[in-house]
Order: sequence, then structure tokens, then C-alpha cells
Amino acid sequence: MNRRRTRLLLEIALTIALAAVLGMITLWRMPQGGSISLGMLPLFVLAFRRGLGPGLVAGGLYGLVDLLVDPYPPVHWIQPVLDYPVAYLLVGLSGVVAAALTPALQARMSRRVALLLAAGITLGASGRYLAHFISGMVFFGEFAPAGQPVWLYSALYNLYVPISAAACFAVAIVVVPAIAGVLPVSGEESS
Amino acid sequence: MKAPVPFGQFYPGDSPVHRLEPRAKMGLVAAFMAMLFTVDGFAGLAAATAVAAVAVAVSSVPPRLVLRGIRAVSIILVFTLLAHGLRWNPATVTLLRVGPVALDAQGVVTGLFFVVRIVLLVVGTSLLTLTTSPVRLADGLERLMRPLEVLRFPAGEVAMMLTVALRFIPTTAEEAEKIVVAQVARGARFDTGGLLKRARAYVPVLVPLFVSLFRRADELATAMEARCYRGGAGRTRFTESRMTRADRAALLVGAAVMILVGVVL
Repeated sequence: MNRRRTRLLLEIALTIALAAVLGMITLWRMPQGGSISLGMLPLFVLAFRRGLGPGLVAGGLYGLVDLLVDPYPPVHWIQPVLDYPVAYLLVGLSGVVAAALTPALQARMSRRVALLLAAGITLGASGRYLAHFISGMVFFGEFAPAGQPVWLYSALYNLYVPISAAACFAVAIVVVPAIAGVLPVSGEESS
Repeated sequence: MKAPVPFGQFYPGDSPVHRLEPRAKMGLVAAFMAMLFTVDGFAGLAAATAVAAVAVAVSSVPPRLVLRGIRAVSIILVFTLLAHGLRWNPATVTLLRVGPVALDAQGVVTGLFFVVRIVLLVVGTSLLTLTTSPVRLADGLERLMRPLEVLRFPAGEVAMMLTVALRFIPTTAEEAEKIVVAQVARGARFDTGGLLKRARAYVPVLVPLFVSLFRRADELATAMEARCYRGGAGRTRFTESRMTRADRAALLVGAAVMILVGVVL
């Protein structure tokens, strides 16, 4: 076990803790659970700094922590799995832009940084939206009578995910370059 | 804005339900859910209600707290009942009719079946999180994941990350609150404007939080290395959760009875 790996594991752990705290600070709450918050932001930031693998791990584990700490009551057995670990795991997909983002941040190419952040956040949020969308279909499919447009209910209900993602982007575009300025993106600064 | 320092739903206590080993409790809740999804009629739901009532009574958790989760799903409950009960311009006789909208008796009964099932699901899972602290739940999960180590799944490392994350949620919340208070003292406003403006208002809070996060990870890595942390392999715990004979018996008998009731009723 080398120090780099220990540090990476701890960055993931502390990112999860920060995501949980920011998730509790609700900017707006939906009546059926789910809320507009900046809870996804730390997961995005970690994925941007550390790449796809750590991003996926952090997301999946955050989903598990969220499920342990403050679960929304499940209405179907598959629902907690899709709505927590799987949904947040997919947020980690935003890490695919990490390799391109790091040099752009170092070169202070703000337009390119903004584009890459938007691409990463869109990808991660779309993954999460898809997981919640399928979970919603399962739920509405289970409890609504046949013949109702279950996909439409689910698509509308889960709109809080893209709205949260937009809020995250508005913040990330300022925060990510600011952090990169203080702590190099490689994350190997010695303080 | 106030960052809540106490988190989760855990209600401390010393009841037999609290003392039950987390893995046994998770197994029993899984069996309870299986029972709810296999019962076909109200007799089965009545049996499940009896199981839930006994568990809540033994747990000594105030029923008010157990039922709190229902408020969160209230809209789902109303939707379920209406989706089944309401009919648009039906040809057959119905319970009540206002213009083209009619209330169908059979639909209401079906709707009620689903509503009771959701309520019992909420009660069962709430009882698990109310009587088991997140750290013990994470311990239980680690023990459940241990067999996966054969497939090179790093169960020990995952458990370390979960434990550190849960341990640092209150610390991070306190830190966030301090920074928020400091920024408010400097004139920052977090509760005005639209969603994006509110989100942007958090930037002066988030930058120090992130910087502190990455610095703390570095310090913790040093501290753990100094104490010979070598990863998951061979790592021992300060408090080891063990399944006693009573835990095993409760799990086996409880799960068997619930699944049997689910299949029969």
C-alpha cells in the first residue's frame, strides 16, 4: 500500500463526506424526495481531478452512504439500488474529461475549461438522470394501473437532476479553476 | 442557512432490536421486504403489519419517528390510490361519480393494497436505520462484502473509506457552518435570488471547503502511514461486530417465518 493510494482513498472518503454535507443544504426540496442541492459538486470535482476510476468509486460509495444516512423510503426492492449506488456511480462518468481538463486548467484556457466542465457535468448528470428515470418507471409501473404513460411521469419527476446539474455547473466554473490554482490538479502538492 | 451537525435517522437505545447484529437485522428487513412483495391479499398484509408492530414495540422507538417516513411518501400514496381508484367515464356502476370522473370500488381496494404495502415498506426500512447507527451499518456491509475479497474486491479499503466518510460528515458540516457564518458576517447572502444566484453565493464557502478537504486527505494519509496503515489486508477493528447464537437464531427463524407467510398468504 503506497502513500499515493492511501491519499487517493482518503480524498474519495472526504469527498463523500463533503457531498453528504452539501446534499443536506437544500436550495429547493421536491415534494416526493429528491432535492436541488450542490451534493453532486464534490463528486464532479473529484472526478475532474482524479479521473474516471476514482470518480466512479466515489460516486458509488456516496450513493451507499446516502442510503445508510438518510434513505428515502423504498417503494420497490430495485429502487434503492438504482436510486442510490447506481445513480451516483454514474455521476463519476464526468471523469472522462479529466485527462483533457488538466492541461486546459494549467494553460488557463477558460473557454476550453468551461466546455469540458459542461461536457463532464452533462455526462455525469445524464447517467444519474437515466438511473432515476428507470427507477421511476419501475415504481410507476409497479403502482400505477396499466396503460398510463409511466415514462412521462418519471421523465418529468426527475427533472430536478438536470436543474441540480445546472447549479453545479454555475459553481464549478468558478470553483474548479480556483482549486486548481491553489492545489495542482495532480493532487500531489505537499502542504 | 444552518448546516445540520447531527445527521442520519439513528435513534439511540438499548432494545433487543438495537442490539441485534447489523447483518442479522439487514437479513430480517430483506425477508420482510420479500414477504411484502410475495403476499397476494390483505391477510398477508395483516400478518406483515403484525410483524412490523411487534418489531416497533420491542424496539422502543417512538412510533411517531417510525411513521415520519410516511410523510415523505405521502404524495406517492395519494397518487397510488387515485391512479387505481379514479376512472374516466366508466361504463359500469361505480362508487361515486362527479361528471365524467368516477371512483371505482374495486380500484380503491387495489389502491389500498398498494398503499398499505408502501407504508409497511417504509416502516420496515425506517426501523433498520432508526435502530442501527450508520457506522454499524457500514460495519455490517463490510462483513457482508468480505467473501468478495476472493474475487480481489478490496472490501477492507471500501470499509475504510465508508468509515472515514461517515466519521467526517459531522466535522465537515461544522466546518461548513463556520465558513458560512464567517461569510454572513462579511455580508454574504445565501437566501436571496434565483437558484443559480443562490448556488453562486456558495462559491466563497466552497473554495475553502475543497482546499481544506484535499489538505486534510494529505494530513490523514501521513497520520495513517505513521501508524502503519497498509491497506485492507489483515486490518483488524477496535470493536469487532460478531453474530451471536441468538442473532443467528433470530435471523433464521424470523426470515423463514416471514418468507413462508409471504408465500402462503
